[in-house]
Amino acid sequence: MIPLIGLVIGVGLGLVLQPTVPLWLEPYLPIAIVAALDAMFGGLRAKLDGIFDDRVFVVSFLGNTIVAALIVFLGDQLGVGSQLSTGVVVVLGIRIFSNVAAIRRKLFRA
Amino acid sequence: MAGWADSGAGCQNGLMAEGQGRGGGARRVDASMSLLADLFAGDALDSGYAAAARARPNKTGTMRRRRGVGLAGVSAMLALTGLLAAVAGLQVRRHEPAAVKERHRLIAEIRDRTATSDALERRLAAVRKETERARAAALARSAAGRRARQNLARAADAAAATERTGPGLTVTVDDAPSGATAEGGDGTDGANGTADSGLVYDQDLQILVNGLWGAGATAIAVNGRRLTSTTAIRAAGDAILVDYRPLSPPYEVTALGGDRLRDAFDRSAAGEHFRTLEDQFGIRVDEHEARATLLPAAAPPRLRYAREETRR
Repeated sequence: MIPLIGLVIGVGLGLVLQPTVPLWLEPYLPIAIVAALDAMFGGLRAKLDGIFDDRVFVVSFLGNTIVAALIVFLGDQLGVGSQLSTGVVVVLGIRIFSNVAAIRRKLFRA
Repeated sequence: MAGWADSGAGCQNGLMAEGQGRGGGARRVDASMSLLADLFAGDALDSGYAAAARARPNKTGTMRRRRGVGLAGVSAMLALTGLLAAVAGLQVRRHEPAAVKERHRLIAEIRDRTATSDALERRLAAVRKETERARAAALARSAAGRRARQNLARAADAAAATERTGPGLTVTVDDAPSGATAEGGDGTDGANGTADSGLVYDQDLQILVNGLWGAGATAIAVNGRRLTSTTAIRAAGDAILVDYRPLSPPYEVTALGGDRLRDAFDRSAAGEHFRTLEDQFGIRVDEHEARATLLPAAAPPRLRYAREETRR
């Protein structure tokens, strides 16, 4: 429950403060968010499986986010930034999908 | 190649060590490279969770407390997710209207400039008329002046610099209604009926205008713009430009000429061309005659080589 409140507080902060994103960070922000969502759903699934571990969650969250942004950054330097970000989004998207499917099976038994 | 062999050996060693350590759970040789296989197997959960769960019973509760980051850490991460998502969403919203606004501003500016240019043209026409009157009055005073006036009138008429009235033929052509190309014609259109095959091209207008000249027209205007001997009919993108001004369909080509103009045009190659366009592509062609048609004067020609003498 408290983590959910944290999520709401984060959204509220973003909407209220409206921080401007530095230009160099802009291409990496969406990818970082997709990675963060992936970690979030992974954590939720682990929670429902009863094997949630806060340390694994925090480390995988930070690691995924940073690595996803780094991959896109590297792709940008090599001239394949948009293709690589598509790749990252596809891979993370599949993971999010299958995690959400597992959560759905757990919750609704269907 | 050497690297491959090395890593293979490493994996095998790892497998043996694991086999001894936990007694079972054989590891695949390519475990570190099975990204897609894992993805499609649906086993997408971060293996760290499973590992942590396995490790848990070995450790005491206090141990785990010490190593974990607790509820605060999890909440902080989720707050970070929310923050990032909100900021990114705002960013997208903020950029989208900028592009739309820019587009509207450009469109407004185009309309504005076109209106200004139209107003200037109208004023120019008024001033020219006044000059004409003053010149006629000045030339009417002598016999030589009257002769000059006649020559001038003939030249102005040929250069389309004066209005003209008379019986005229108006040919209206318009793009085919969308979807008409498929049903129009005799079914052969389906194969070559591309999206823009029903559009009137600049070449069609050129053929039409040349056909009208050939049929004996003495003055022609397209959508109210009088053609001179040097007026260009061209295309820029999808728009047809006449005298470098964009036109929008329907295109109304008005020609002044005798009673036989219509017959002559219908019998000409241009008339045939448009009947074909009508049959094959569904382009709408409509001809109708009017007893009295007024064609405006063309825009004054620009002097290219002649120069006004500067007074000292």
